[in-house]
Amino acid sequence: MVISPQSRLYLSWVVLTAITLIAWWVGGQHGEAQIRPSAAVGLSAMAITLVKVRVIIREFMEVRHAPRKLKLVTDGWLIVFILAMIVAYFLVG
Amino acid sequence: MTNSASAELDLAGNNENSDSTRMPGQGAMWALVMIEAMTFSAYFVVYTIYYRMNTEAFLAAQSELSLGFGALNTIILLTSSLSIALCVQRSREGHYGAAIRNCMLTAAGGLVFSILKLYEWSIEIGKGMYFSTNEFFSYYYFFTGMHLLHVLVGFIALGVVYYQLKSPARRSQQIIEAGATYWHLVDFLWVIIFALMYVMR
Repeated sequence: MVISPQSRLYLSWVVLTAITLIAWWVGGQHGEAQIRPSAAVGLSAMAITLVKVRVIIREFMEVRHAPRKLKLVTDGWLIVFILAMIVAYFLVG
Repeated sequence: MTNSASAELDLAGNNENSDSTRMPGQGAMWALVMIEAMTFSAYFVVYTIYYRMNTEAFLAAQSELSLGFGALNTIILLTSSLSIALCVQRSREGHYGAAIRNCMLTAAGGLVFSILKLYEWSIEIGKGMYFSTNEFFSYYYFFTGMHLLHVLVGFIALGVVYYQLKSPARRSQQIIEAGATYWHLVDFLWVIIFALMYVMR
């Protein structure tokens, strides 16, 4: 199926907005009296960040069509950043 | 030259099937974007370390923020990002009127975001949450303040895009794309701040 570049952008926006709404739900208190630390929510926040930032870079910033070098630099940064966040989250505290 | 070639491909409607690669915008803008991304990343990792060393206190302060407000602001910026991405494509196709409308829509999104951000600050200040009230709020005002500064620079980038689109003599698809690239940086930095300061616990 061939979709137009415009439809692809709209579709990306739908995905990004849906994930934002999921993040809103995930981060909610769900009736608890007080928000508690949660590794599940912490990891979800990082997974959500990874997916959203990659969609913005690949689709909105058109890195999908970019030279290999730019793809490697952007993906490399994102992977190192998220891994560093996970290490910081689980090694400390 | 590559720009006009890809415009022809777009008009033919088969750009999606082409495996030709091209640099979006300008290399110098990408260098700036990656330097910004890496600098902010370092701050975000430091934030997470302090957060984990003193989770209870950070969480107590974090619960003063409105998660819904953060989500709404995220969706507004994502929409403005969609709009500037559409602007780039319309301009590539030669539909400059539509591109200008998309550019103005992007600026409107940025303006709404900024007003909501100032309103959010005023709510927190009203509750007695200042920069030095606690560690969490120091980071909160630092990150959101640095980010808002980038939104303001983003308005200059949008101004350049608008100026390029307005005058047929100086239209450069490359500069238009570079301006859009900067705006998307502003967008994804906020996406990270939202996940870090509003969602993570």
